[in-house]
Amino acid sequence: MAAFGSMSIAQIQQGLTNKEFSAREVAEASLARVASADEKVHAFLEVTEDLAYRAAARVDEAIASGNLAAAGPLAGVPVAFKDNMNLEGTHTTCSSHMLEDYVSPYTATCVKRIIDAGGIPLGKLNMDEFAFGSSTETSAFGPTCNPWDLSRVPGGSSGGSAAAVAAGMATMTLGSDTGGSIRQPGSFCGTVAVKPTYGVVSRYGVVAFGSSLDQVGPFARTVRDAALTMNALAGRDQLDCTSQNVTCDFTANLDQGVAGMRIGVVPEFMNAAGLTPEVKSKIDEAIGKLQDAGAEIVEVALPNVHAAISAYYVLGPCEAFSNLARFDSVRYGYCDPGHKDLGGQYEGSRAKGFGEEARRRIMLGSYLLSAGVYDKYYYPAQQVRTLITADYTAAYEKVDCIIAPCAPRTAFKFGEISDPTEMYLSDMYTISINIAGNGGMNMPIGVGADSGLPIGAQLIAPAFKDENMLRVAAALEKIYGEAPVAPAFADGKVGE
Amino acid sequence: MKKLEEVLKDWEAVIGLEIHAELTTLNTKMFCGCKLEFGADPNTHTCPVCLGLPGALPVPNKKAIESIVLAGLATNCDIEKHSMFYRKGYMYPDMAKNFQTTQGPVAFCMRGHLDLDVDGAAAKERPAAAGLGVGEEVENITGTEDGYVAHVGITRIHMEEDAGKMVHVGGGEGRIAGATHSLVDYNRAGTPLIELVTEPDLRTPEEARLFMQKLRQIYLAIGISDCSMEEGSLRCDGNVSLRRRGETKFGTKTELKNMNSFKNLHDGLAYEICRQAEVLEEGGIIYQETRHWDPSKKHTIVMRVKETADDYRLFPEPDLAPYDLSDEFIENVRSRMPELPDQKAKRFQETFGLSAYDARHLVEHRETSNFFEAAMEGADAKLAKPLANLIINDITAYLNANEVKLADTPLTPERGRDLVKLMAEDTISSKQGKQVFAAIMEEDKDPAVIVEEKGMKQVSDTGALEAVVDAVLAANPDDVASYKAGNTKVQGFFVGQCMKAMKGQGNPKLINQILAKKLNE
Repeated sequence: MAAFGSMSIAQIQQGLTNKEFSAREVAEASLARVASADEKVHAFLEVTEDLAYRAAARVDEAIASGNLAAAGPLAGVPVAFKDNMNLEGTHTTCSSHMLEDYVSPYTATCVKRIIDAGGIPLGKLNMDEFAFGSSTETSAFGPTCNPWDLSRVPGGSSGGSAAAVAAGMATMTLGSDTGGSIRQPGSFCGTVAVKPTYGVVSRYGVVAFGSSLDQVGPFARTVRDAALTMNALAGRDQLDCTSQNVTCDFTANLDQGVAGMRIGVVPEFMNAAGLTPEVKSKIDEAIGKLQDAGAEIVEVALPNVHAAISAYYVLGPCEAFSNLARFDSVRYGYCDPGHKDLGGQYEGSRAKGFGEEARRRIMLGSYLLSAGVYDKYYYPAQQVRTLITADYTAAYEKVDCIIAPCAPRTAFKFGEISDPTEMYLSDMYTISINIAGNGGMNMPIGVGADSGLPIGAQLIAPAFKDENMLRVAAALEKIYGEAPVAPAFADGKVGE
Repeated sequence: MKKLEEVLKDWEAVIGLEIHAELTTLNTKMFCGCKLEFGADPNTHTCPVCLGLPGALPVPNKKAIESIVLAGLATNCDIEKHSMFYRKGYMYPDMAKNFQTTQGPVAFCMRGHLDLDVDGAAAKERPAAAGLGVGEEVENITGTEDGYVAHVGITRIHMEEDAGKMVHVGGGEGRIAGATHSLVDYNRAGTPLIELVTEPDLRTPEEARLFMQKLRQIYLAIGISDCSMEEGSLRCDGNVSLRRRGETKFGTKTELKNMNSFKNLHDGLAYEICRQAEVLEEGGIIYQETRHWDPSKKHTIVMRVKETADDYRLFPEPDLAPYDLSDEFIENVRSRMPELPDQKAKRFQETFGLSAYDARHLVEHRETSNFFEAAMEGADAKLAKPLANLIINDITAYLNANEVKLADTPLTPERGRDLVKLMAEDTISSKQGKQVFAAIMEEDKDPAVIVEEKGMKQVSDTGALEAVVDAVLAANPDDVASYKAGNTKVQGFFVGQCMKAMKGQGNPKLINQILAKKLNE
């Protein structure tokens, strides 16, 4: 049977329209593919067979009544969701023992919009615990493997979402990005991966990490598939008062090319210590090719961007500390048995329910927000945030989009990075965008000369001009070709 | 323990209040669409948001913001256009998210004030008011005819969400001590709550009580809450400390809880002031602690000692954008401001020629001021004063004694007006008026019908009265002689005899006139 997870949205819908296959067959084949390929990858924490068949039935009904469009723009597309997204009746564990048995009583807006658009939900995807991490190694249920090299990490925290697409198990998946958690795994696994401007996609129903930083976005193999998903996701949600009324068609500019576009290059990014030569040379190459395609390359400065990681590791833990306070064992979640008093139950449950990185961030946030400390860290971090946002605003007076590395290096091996601060540096190129709130995405531009592993260019758009980065991404896609399924999983293979 | 009166001679009590009001007149909760309803089955008005489920987000209730701005305007506050919500962290099962969404250093309403009219016995609690001339100022008070006006600052009014309700099972009286387990009802969780904090400007339990009463009148007038102290939609905590008269430094304060009625507020503070004075006079020290007023045992007991300030890890709520209230929004709210009790009292003075005292007491309750206005509709202005007296004295006493609402009694505004009119026109005496009032309440009949049925009409026919007077004088020659010898006091005796002869229905004013004329002939 066809590897539907390797097909584009348009290819699937053409097949459905031509009655080459039914949506039920898409669901069956996709579930079978997950069952075999995921033995190697471990991207899925839960497979939602019933929901997949139910969604497929709705699509097949629409086809039977001669109106595929009625089933929605994503009709028949096999999709999956990061496990911090609520889907009624499924487990939403956030890859934590704390929520191992937690079953969602409601559905997140982003998930609902994808399913309402006709997507076939295959299941829930592995992640770093509560999205704290850059390798998916902090998952309480074991790491996900990078389909390009199973001994390497897929990146994180949305490692399962990236790997599921890279292994051809799903056409599209959703992830969430607080400091790079969509873009960095997109880079490590070689998929298109979009972190929209804060406010473009509703956060309602996505378990919060850093409320002022979190944003949901798609993983896909083609820029058009990502843009189509953005169309389904974007827009005001009454349940998230930070969501904005975004009505643009994200596919509108994809064929326009970059001629006449001003694309920024940031010296602070390109000359940063820690950027590996193979990544730097690929980014330089991509910049050259964009110039050849007619773009004007303009150097822009982001003088305060060096402070982004410091600010992030103040703001992120503070918000995380507060957001995770609700996991107290009282009404749901892990409860350590045998305690005689409430304080003891809180302590025991949280000490055992949360993993090491979650505990580290909670303790960090608890300290940073405490009296006398708050003024020293939280307040200056917010000031830094203002400065970085102003840097980007100034830069976008000169350019329509910025190109930068997405990650300083290609995917690393399991256990290779054990020092938390070294791990934090793998988000050095992505964090400042969450701080400023604008959109950023990973665009695969081939593999590294030394590692043979995927390398991604990060395209960074002005706030609410996400269509700009998609336009540049589409131009790069024309140059480099569509992002392939990882070789060991191509053509229906399952990791041989 | 010394009496409050004694204590306040030597000590100055410094009192500040924190008053929580639930915005019960709104339909939905602060940050979600759940219905606001008191007394519903536990946990029937809940959703992912007010249960704090993972992934849920708050969406602010715009009407609640309108309500707090209205409250701020009604209490002379500055409305802060730019303010934010904050998260106040503490772990307790009644707060599902383990943080309360509240406001930070800048609240929607800042720097307000209310003026309290303190009169009669209430004014006597404040030594500085003794002998204060009208318009004379001392401390934060200004003298009036029958007491003083206290100027009380309001620090702020901020918006927050209420917690759920905990019920402890297995211990005594729902207390946590000895309980085997606890139940939580989240119906109340997320109820919009406004907290008003006063400056430490109150000096007596009476002032505290009057402040609370006045605030309640205002909140009821602007319609933001049902202000039920019994059901907890209006709650008050008091902070109280003592210092020697003349001292400018504040003493250590205690925080007093469970003052769920005006009486408890007064009595709890009065007890606490006396307790602190006793401790201090015996050379002891006051600990900063939270104390619980027990109205049945009439004392306060320690709930918990505050050794260090609580660390709530307050920081701006990232799920809610900062507020920028527009002038248009504020003016729109202002345009919906109804007449406030103070304004109504002023209007009653101007329109009906009432005294400040009468006007103030009429507007204390909406039901009595509405009754007054309805009864005065188209009536002679001369009836205003007797009608006010009827309401402030007879009607209020009746309502208090019988614990009923005016609307639930047979006394309509028309009947009230007719009763007062009968007295004003000398058809019945004021003594008969009281009987007619009682009969209206008991028999549910119009005053005229009662007067007719009981044959109560006052006799004002001069000829008939003269005949009675003549008969009384003729029957008591010794007393007439005594009068003529200079003992004019016996005139009262003659009046009594005349009234007795007429079964109380003679017009006493006329009888007096006739007696005086005849005795001095």
